[in-house]
Amino acid sequence: MKKFLTTAFLFTLAAVAFAQGAPVQKSLFEGQFTAHIALAIAAAGCGLGQGKAVVAACEGVARNPQAAGAIRTTMIIGLALIEALVIYVLVAAFAIK
Amino acid sequence: MEHHASLLAKWLTQVLGLSQHPWPGFSHGAALSILERYDHLLNAALAALVAMLITGLVRKNLARIPGPLQQTFEGVVGGLKEMLNDNIAHHGEKYLPFIGTMALFVFFNNLFGLLPALSPGTSNWNVTLGAALVVFGYYNWHGMKEQGVGKYWLHFAGPIWWLAPLMFPLEILGLLSRILSHSLRLFGNIAGEHVVAGIFFGLMPILLPVPMMFLGLFFGLIQTFVFTMLATIYLSGAVSHEH
Repeated sequence: MKKFLTTAFLFTLAAVAFAQGAPVQKSLFEGQFTAHIALAIAAAGCGLGQGKAVVAACEGVARNPQAAGAIRTTMIIGLALIEALVIYVLVAAFAIK
Repeated sequence: MEHHASLLAKWLTQVLGLSQHPWPGFSHGAALSILERYDHLLNAALAALVAMLITGLVRKNLARIPGPLQQTFEGVVGGLKEMLNDNIAHHGEKYLPFIGTMALFVFFNNLFGLLPALSPGTSNWNVTLGAALVVFGYYNWHGMKEQGVGKYWLHFAGPIWWLAPLMFPLEILGLLSRILSHSLRLFGNIAGEHVVAGIFFGLMPILLPVPMMFLGLFFGLIQTFVFTMLATIYLSGAVSHEH
């Protein structure tokens, strides 16, 4: 299965590379392709990180509902700081395009 | 990145009969009028104008029994006051005018993405960078005013004197990179949301963009809160005395 997926991925790469075929030879990893892959990786990592943060905040609120306000504020700040990393990649993706 | 002027700018260009010409090094040399080129400034100025008009309206019609608009604004001012008092000990309310102005400016700019024919001013880096620079200048100025110039800059050197040559450049770098993160966060969120809503609109103009627009309203609010909160935290870090 793993081998099949690897082969399929390589074929896709080859198809993309051959489909360009224009006189200007542009590398595959130059341009939008890189931006899309980078953004996907960044979004995946951000999802994991934000999920952990929200889990911890939910547990905190469930254990001590009176602290909900303070926990919510802190959580939103934390989420914003995590999100900022993806935003940097998004800005880079805009710049590449 | 390709430049998309808002419909308002295009319409104004036609109505006023402004000349269109290519701008060197911008948007692949597309012919744009001055309003289309500086579309973000037009929208930001309009947002500021709307904010001023609405707050002016509230202020003129202040009543003992508040209407819906006055009640909303009382909630906003109360929330901001509480946030400042929580973060800055003893004298938080002194900074309410500045923080409140920034919050309203950013909020109305964010909301402009939801109105037809307009684009949010904050979806351009120039506007958010301006806002972040103003905040940067403000908290440094007040830090120097509260603590004294020498003491304010000395606290970047850290507590151990022989580590100061290492700490000082790092702290200054951290201070400067705040501008970048503060502005890019707002810009990226609003611009990304606006682009996604635009793509949804292109797929199907009816009903499909509505959830995305609701998300835009929500994100606009959250990002305003985050921007204001971070400004408050930077300010509290600058003006608080260390005991």
